[in-house]
Amino acid sequence: MSTPDGLRAFGATARKEWRTVRRYLANLAFVVFWPLVLPAVYVLEARGFAGGEARALGAFAARAGTAEVAGFLYLGWAVFIWLTIVLWGPGASLRDEQLRGSLESLFLTPSPRWAILFGSAPAHLVLAMAMLATVGLTLRLGLGLAVGPAAALRALAVVAASVPLLFGTGALLGALVLWLRDASGLFMLLRGLFTVLCGVTYPVAVLPGWAQATAAALPPTHVIGALRAALLGGARLAQLWETIALLAAVGLGLCAAAVLLLGRVERHARHGRGFEWY
Amino acid sequence: MRPLAVVPVRPGAPPAALPAIEARGLTRVFRRGRRTLAQRLRRQPDTRERFAAVDGIDLRVEHGEIFGVLGPNGAGKTTTVRMLATLLEPSGGTIHLCGVDALARPRQARALLGAVLGGERSVYWKLTGHQNLEYYAALYQVPRDATRGRITDVLAAVGLSDRADDYVERYSTGMRQRLALARALLAGPPLLLLDEPTVGLDPQASADLRERVRNLSATGKAVLLTTHDMDEADRLCDRVAIIDHGRIVALGSPAALKRAVRATQVVELEVEVAEPDEPGLVAAFAQLTTVAGSRRAGGALQVVLHGDATRQLVPVVVEAAWRNQAVVRRVDVIPVTLEDVFLTLTGRELRE
Repeated sequence: MSTPDGLRAFGATARKEWRTVRRYLANLAFVVFWPLVLPAVYVLEARGFAGGEARALGAFAARAGTAEVAGFLYLGWAVFIWLTIVLWGPGASLRDEQLRGSLESLFLTPSPRWAILFGSAPAHLVLAMAMLATVGLTLRLGLGLAVGPAAALRALAVVAASVPLLFGTGALLGALVLWLRDASGLFMLLRGLFTVLCGVTYPVAVLPGWAQATAAALPPTHVIGALRAALLGGARLAQLWETIALLAAVGLGLCAAAVLLLGRVERHARHGRGFEWY
Repeated sequence: MRPLAVVPVRPGAPPAALPAIEARGLTRVFRRGRRTLAQRLRRQPDTRERFAAVDGIDLRVEHGEIFGVLGPNGAGKTTTVRMLATLLEPSGGTIHLCGVDALARPRQARALLGAVLGGERSVYWKLTGHQNLEYYAALYQVPRDATRGRITDVLAAVGLSDRADDYVERYSTGMRQRLALARALLAGPPLLLLDEPTVGLDPQASADLRERVRNLSATGKAVLLTTHDMDEADRLCDRVAIIDHGRIVALGSPAALKRAVRATQVVELEVEVAEPDEPGLVAAFAQLTTVAGSRRAGGALQVVLHGDATRQLVPVVVEAAWRNQAVVRRVDVIPVTLEDVFLTLTGRELRE
């Protein structure tokens, strides 16, 4: 199959997914409601614990690199919710097809597997961007965070570099759960791992040494760190460039690994009991 | 019903002279049970029992032919069709679809076939019928400029033109099944594989689908369908392979298969008899004609007898029962069906 045919199959899969997503208004409520409410709970909790005292804020700033507690929490949760969208969207899409009974029909077509694997990503990217926009507006209008055009551009660069990373992670997991025949258990485990280790609600610096080393190996830690540095830490693009390039490179690597894994899973299924067995 | 538009032959399409399906020595071995993660990590030898779900079957299906694979649940029908569809790798044997080696070139083979597997669940309920087909047209590489016309044609062929813009969740089971058939027709394949296409359909919807399959066959398409419905196989198929325990036990036209029973009619008896007297009664029947099968059900003995002069046979059988202290509760005289062929060949009923 030629590349234009592959791109057409990718576009058709994206359109099919979007048609399904938009039928459920709850999806929209999720990307608007949760990024507003969830971090607010933690902001209030932080105020309850520290009471806005200068010494407490100073200790936080020394560890987090910023005194903007609300911004820190909102950005941490934004990446976490993005990950959740990725896990339950592209990460679960092939498994959903399998449970629905339509996966074999897809694998009966001569279309390239990458188009099926990544086709669900654009619809969920729209949701993720809507969620990030909600967080951005909340920070700017709700919390009065001074975000200039330069900081906004830096944040956009980080987000753009993170797209292949997060959706590559989703695609890799999407292929993996076909083999494991379970998505929920794995996703709950990963969400727990990311919450504890990636610095969603606290600076990674407070973790023990071994946990910090593990956190450094997890890509979401770097996405959260880079986003905070861009918007709250005042880091310049030149300072972020290395991280942005690393995120993009790892993301592309994950995408390639996902395609290879899906090929392997398909071969495994053809030699085993096939995709109807779940 | 509007006939399906003639689909242009693809460049490089195999010549129609080659059989649509030619499978030789097709075998698929599975292992029973599951290997635990601990066993895998310890690299313990796999000691699970092996069994052949399909055990060396040969098939040849010609263009324009409706070929049925008939057998009870677990006979190997679905495994066979999944191997032909390139979804499962055979443990042994060869498959050629329109001359293309399906094992060596599965992607090329896939382009030659349309399949309905998994029935109504295989379509997207949250999309309309038209949107479903639009999606698959892109996956099947139907040329962009031909997509609209092709969708119109296949919707007409399955009788869904007026419901094309309704969400599939509002369709009946039969309509969803027909939509799955429309999807299989989208790319104009010369070969259709249908796995239990009428399961879950009411008699009217089943008859409608069978009629549409017949029309497709008339356009030159080869159709291979699996079924455990003997009546469906009898009415619809040009030839039938009766499969049991992964092996073909009989192959031929329904009429030829029924001739193999060596009877024109079947007498089904329901007899009230004490269990100790049962063997004597069956032996008495066997002296009169062929006893195809007997089993106890609902406190009575169900007996199937094969014979030709059944009108003369019935009074003799009733008398034999009376002499063996048995009472005949019910007598049915019916024509020979494929069920009787299966019973004769395997000693079991299809429904068992």
